[in-house]
Amino acid sequence: MPRSPPIARPRVIGTMNRIASIAAAMFALTAGAMPHAAAAADRVDFDRHIRPILSDKCFFCHGPDQKHRQADLRLDERDSAVADKAIVPGKPEESELIRRITSDDADETMPPPESHKELTPSEKTLLRRWIADGAEYQAHWAYRPLAKPRVPRLNDAGWVRNPIDSFVLEELRSRKIEPSPEADRATLLRRLSLDLTGLPPTPAEVAAFLDDTSPNAYERQVSRLLASPRYGERMAVPWLDLVRFADTVGYHGDQNQHVFAYRDWVIDAFNRNKPFDQFTIEQLAGDLLPAATTEQRVATAFNRLNMMTREGGAQPKEYLAKYAADRVRTVSTTWLGSTMGCCECHGHKFDPFTACDFYSLAAFFADVKQWGYYADAKYARTPELAGFGNEHPFPPEIEVASPYLQRRQRQFEQQMIALAEATARHAAAQPASRDKFNGWQRAMREFLAREPSGWSTPQPRVASKALKPAKKSDADEPEQIDGPTIEADGRIVFRGKPQDNPIALPLDVPWLAAVRLELLPHAAHGGKIARGEPTIIKPAVRIKRRDGKPAKVAFFYADADARDPKYTQGSAVVGVHGGWQPAKARLTERQSSVWLVERPLKVDDGDQLEITLAGNTIGCLRVSVSPIAGVDPLDASLATELRTALGAAESAAATTTASSPVNLAYLGSTACEPKAFEQFRQLQRSWFECRRGMAEVMTTVAVEPLMTRVLPRGNWQDDSGEIVSPAVPHFLPQPTNSGDQRLTRLDLARWLVANENPLTARVVVNRLWKQFFGAALSGVVDDLGAQGESPSHPELLDWLAYEFRASGWDTKRLVRLLVTSSTYRQQSNVRAELRDVDPANRLLAFMSPRRLEAEFVRDNALAIAGLLNLDLGGPSVRPYQPAGYYANLQFPNRDYVAQLDDRQYRRGVYMHWQRTFLQPMLANFDAPGREECTAGRLCSNTPQQALTLLNDPTFVEAARVLAARLLVDAHATDERRIDHLLRLAVARPPSTAERESLAAFLADQRKHYRQHEDEAQQLLNVGIAPAATNIDAAELAAWTSLCRVVLNLHETIARY
Amino acid sequence: MHDESIQRQQLLRAMQRRTFLRRSAYGIGGLALASLLEGRAAAGDAAGSAPNQVSRGFVNPTHYPVRARRIIHLCMAGGPSHLESFDYKPELKKLDKQPFPESFTKGQQLAQLQNAELKAAGPFCEFAKHGNSGQEISSLFPHIAKIADDICIVRSMHTEQINHDPAHAFMNSGSIIKGRPSIGSWLLYGLGAETDELPGFIVLTSAGKSGLQPVSARQWSSGFLPTRYQGILFQSKGDAVHYVGNPAGVTRETQGAVVDEVNRLNRLFAAEHADPEIQTRISQYELAFRMQMSVPDLTDFASEPQSVLEMYGVKEPGDGSFASNCLLARRLAERGVRFIQLYHRAWDHHNNIANDMPRAALDVDQASAALVRDLKQRGMLDDTLIVWGGEFGRTPMGQGSGRDHHINAFSIWLAGGGIRGGMTWGRTDELGYKYVADDQAMHVHDLHATMLYLCGIDHSRFSVKFQGLDARLTGVEPCKVVRGILA
Repeated sequence: MPRSPPIARPRVIGTMNRIASIAAAMFALTAGAMPHAAAAADRVDFDRHIRPILSDKCFFCHGPDQKHRQADLRLDERDSAVADKAIVPGKPEESELIRRITSDDADETMPPPESHKELTPSEKTLLRRWIADGAEYQAHWAYRPLAKPRVPRLNDAGWVRNPIDSFVLEELRSRKIEPSPEADRATLLRRLSLDLTGLPPTPAEVAAFLDDTSPNAYERQVSRLLASPRYGERMAVPWLDLVRFADTVGYHGDQNQHVFAYRDWVIDAFNRNKPFDQFTIEQLAGDLLPAATTEQRVATAFNRLNMMTREGGAQPKEYLAKYAADRVRTVSTTWLGSTMGCCECHGHKFDPFTACDFYSLAAFFADVKQWGYYADAKYARTPELAGFGNEHPFPPEIEVASPYLQRRQRQFEQQMIALAEATARHAAAQPASRDKFNGWQRAMREFLAREPSGWSTPQPRVASKALKPAKKSDADEPEQIDGPTIEADGRIVFRGKPQDNPIALPLDVPWLAAVRLELLPHAAHGGKIARGEPTIIKPAVRIKRRDGKPAKVAFFYADADARDPKYTQGSAVVGVHGGWQPAKARLTERQSSVWLVERPLKVDDGDQLEITLAGNTIGCLRVSVSPIAGVDPLDASLATELRTALGAAESAAATTTASSPVNLAYLGSTACEPKAFEQFRQLQRSWFECRRGMAEVMTTVAVEPLMTRVLPRGNWQDDSGEIVSPAVPHFLPQPTNSGDQRLTRLDLARWLVANENPLTARVVVNRLWKQFFGAALSGVVDDLGAQGESPSHPELLDWLAYEFRASGWDTKRLVRLLVTSSTYRQQSNVRAELRDVDPANRLLAFMSPRRLEAEFVRDNALAIAGLLNLDLGGPSVRPYQPAGYYANLQFPNRDYVAQLDDRQYRRGVYMHWQRTFLQPMLANFDAPGREECTAGRLCSNTPQQALTLLNDPTFVEAARVLAARLLVDAHATDERRIDHLLRLAVARPPSTAERESLAAFLADQRKHYRQHEDEAQQLLNVGIAPAATNIDAAELAAWTSLCRVVLNLHETIARY
Repeated sequence: MHDESIQRQQLLRAMQRRTFLRRSAYGIGGLALASLLEGRAAAGDAAGSAPNQVSRGFVNPTHYPVRARRIIHLCMAGGPSHLESFDYKPELKKLDKQPFPESFTKGQQLAQLQNAELKAAGPFCEFAKHGNSGQEISSLFPHIAKIADDICIVRSMHTEQINHDPAHAFMNSGSIIKGRPSIGSWLLYGLGAETDELPGFIVLTSAGKSGLQPVSARQWSSGFLPTRYQGILFQSKGDAVHYVGNPAGVTRETQGAVVDEVNRLNRLFAAEHADPEIQTRISQYELAFRMQMSVPDLTDFASEPQSVLEMYGVKEPGDGSFASNCLLARRLAERGVRFIQLYHRAWDHHNNIANDMPRAALDVDQASAALVRDLKQRGMLDDTLIVWGGEFGRTPMGQGSGRDHHINAFSIWLAGGGIRGGMTWGRTDELGYKYVADDQAMHVHDLHATMLYLCGIDHSRFSVKFQGLDARLTGVEPCKVVRGILA
């Protein structure tokens, strides 16, 4: 049966772009203007020709929505339409439908004028012919059971590489169109690399591919790229758009949320090629799996990615309704390709979804532990969130290991050790410093022999400060006069009201590197560590030299083995900052804190330490001091290791070269080598930032499900709607495990990927097709319903969907199928002779070029420049951003601080995603705010993009680093450098005309910057990358201009 | 207009459309369409329609005569109290500190006052009648009182969202679902801009000393419309528009040379590789470079005489104050920007309202009035619509020393662009709790429908297909153009 082409319906003009088709519709571009689909000889096809007309023009009043139905007539069901005589099969003239659509009477004509809908003459003809043919209805294509279509057999002269090509070629042949030739190898590799990894190929990779004469050279490149960890980073981006992954909660104060571990899980899942069914189940219901792993719990952060609020006055119930609706929209778009959003208020106008379906789907998530309003308020008591403010996180969360943070922490450890070794070698090389080092070793050996733990607890003296006279009203009570008492092991027992008795401690350590405060349970306070509520402890410490004035001792860092957490911008503060708040829930246990001295001090005989604990309520305190400071104040192992190492060193009688613990302790505990010590502190700071390799992540915790009702017209205050149980949309095949038990998220997840569900495989394959070919097979990726578009190649879509599912949801296999097809390998040259037949290239007679997505525009430039940091995973990063961009953000106020280290150059997928103020570079290149599930990004072409590429410091810096890269080889000619530049950027050498133009431009720039050295210097200072010092500034600036040009080319930010 | 200039404009328009229709693999569908549209516009001209009916956007010609060629929306973010601005309630004053009648509030949504004991709070300031029209305006707004005959006060506003974030979204996009275009984006899409050197939709923000609430960039998002219709936030620090300044060490000449070279190479590539996106890219680089030149000129206030600065109460031009932003708004209006939105974040007075609201009023009163007067004396008020108001009102019940959010009643005013001045429209009950549901009631969608009407657009015919629906700014529920306030 000949099929009408998908390209001809007027609403399909530029169907890749919904907007374009709208434009076409708005201007009533009729079928006359474009070649029409159902050419005279073709049979009218319900799915392709009729349903779109009925849906768009009739269903609004005569469709599935019962409440809005007019004249009790529905045209979405044949029986009903025939019974009402709207349609008389075979007899258009007797059909009321035809009479009405052709009527000139304003009262009768359909659609009614006030709907502003009009049928075109060709649409009327189609309806008439369809009724004349018998008015056959078809079940909507997307809801039909998925069956495996027969692959067409063609005489293809070797073009067909896999079934994709058969389907595509058959369609082309039916129109006497030949496919395009295969693209050249360099173009192919650049296309593959950008599509599979989001990064350009290096010139070496291109050269290797060009040299590879084996018959499967291309397939080997595909395998290489699919195996690259960059593949997961690339594939994650569209998924993160769907699930609305962001670093902030979105509503009102748009505070930070803990969620990067989920992003890393997604990347890892793609890299490990986790089957899509498992991928689905773990995200929706990983917590409900038997013996759920930590990773599966991380995956369930998916259920927590809805926007959340902490706006004062927000009603919990209202926001729970918003969160529920958001989840329904996300799940229905992501897996069902259906637009259920409208069913929050009423039945769907075009598809068979009802409001009951909407709330039944929402009910699956009624067990997700969450709060509508993430704080405790008088008008909405939430005891579990008592004390929560704007700096707090959004629980429930779990703490998980982050491989990235662990790797990074190890890196800093190794750097500290290397620094310590280098410092020791340096010290050993000079007599004076060698003596100092040896002296320290001797002193430490003695000290550790006396105090193996590394801590010394001198007997303190406590001044009994005069207490204020009691108030008159207290006159009856006895004056509390008993001051602190000192016990034999250095314990100080305080009594009475809060006071700040200064403690004096004779120092008996060779160096002062750390101070320890222990709070001990004491019988005087009922076995507790404090007198009442423990207040924040903030020791003010000074050292009193025997002969000198007291000097303040500053602390670099402190931490405690028990403390109540403190939060800033959603994260628990690392270590003790601004004072130690002992854990209020553990008052009968010992709690201790260790304070590292900013610059360790050499101690002389008679020196003493004075500690003041202002207004403290401590019960029993013991203060110890140590000459040893490890990296981590809570790690006691350094003293032991040092003792062993020093013992070994002595027995070997070799004091010039010491082992690591000795070197590390010397560097970190003495500050004897000031420059190295500064570097050590820097590394130590970075080490702390790694949070011991652990990270919090929001997770799903199942609780007793809340009751779910249908909300009449979506009104959360209306409790009159029926109570619903979890259920999948009523008209789709139902889950098999029916029974009396309430269905769970796990049932939903399993149903989504079950064989009986016709949608998921089609939806996923369709989206993936769009990712690789520019347009989806069914053009509207978020709507496979009646208002969507019937597929250009329905059998191909079904074949791929079936294949995907039958392969065990093997995503890499599917991707490999797509990119190894001949269809994919075609040239991207636009074919002028097809512009009228197939304006949107839906027949795939060539490869459609596409601009890169925002993240990859950035990655690409950084990669070309050689700046890209390829670290995998980890907390989101903060690259440059225009100053003051968060000025309108509050609760708390935010100041964006860019990270001025290697994290500056990380991939776009790791950029901090602030929902309300998305980083401007990302926003300018159409990245979505991820407030709402997004199935397909728009792709615009705006002056803001030009401004970004021209002036954003990221791109200017990339250009100057790239320029330095080209100038490294001092002997190369301009011509060779220009050649290399183009190969780096677009994987091809320049044409003669391009080369000449660039050379002339370079000459002008050279001349300019030679005359304006100051400008050259300024340009070379953009960004944090160090400027090359061995290259002439004017020369480097001129090449920077040239590199800016190349990074701004359309070809550079597009893939062909 | 010279022929050459007209030709250039037409070319630009065609290019803009081409950009819009970018995803056709050829752009040919787009080109064909663009030339068709051009033909239609020309036909419209030939048919003798008024010149102001020819738009540069997708509603072309406009559905109605264009009364307002641009809109300046003064957003009083946080929600000013109607009871101390434009809606005088002597009965409420009498009831001060008394229990608030339950008949008004039963079963209704409140914000922080939910479940609290409700007491009436009378207005803390005086009202007087002003102008020939005798409009009642509070003593907090003495300058606005002086333009009483130019403005139309609407007291019957009501909305559906009681928290700032969704209420702003509702006021801007007619929906609380994310990803919907804001009214500025709709207008830009429908009518295009009258400038090629500046964005057609510009947002400025300023803040008071108290009553601050955050506003999100989603409030000026283009939603499902292409990003070129989004509002561009002018920054108070650094470049007014992101990345509009040249990098350090790059002069205007150097930048010009870079842009020229980019475009020369893009053309060379386009000759080999027929991709219409490249043509669009070339035109966008030209536009960007022009924008780089025009923005500094726009923000250079040197040409403004001292008397003008004084009229607005501008202390330091470009200081990011509301007054300075109002003056900048006029400069933007003069340059053909279609939609200008000013947020002043200062109106969330949950407590200490008697002290803080007068301060917020002081921030905006003089400059708001000056903007109207200035446009009037320049002959621009007739075709510039000014809308002044918050995202909701405040409760007639006290919340400690302040007032809580309130959705059932609030006041705004409009001026210029086809609005009848010197009138008050709509009313609330005697305690200012709820709008009176007569034919003068004004829902947010009614306001939108009216704004679109004044710009020549029929809201019911102005839709874009999104997720299967004909999405409209005014949503699916019936709403109306409020004709009673039109001149």
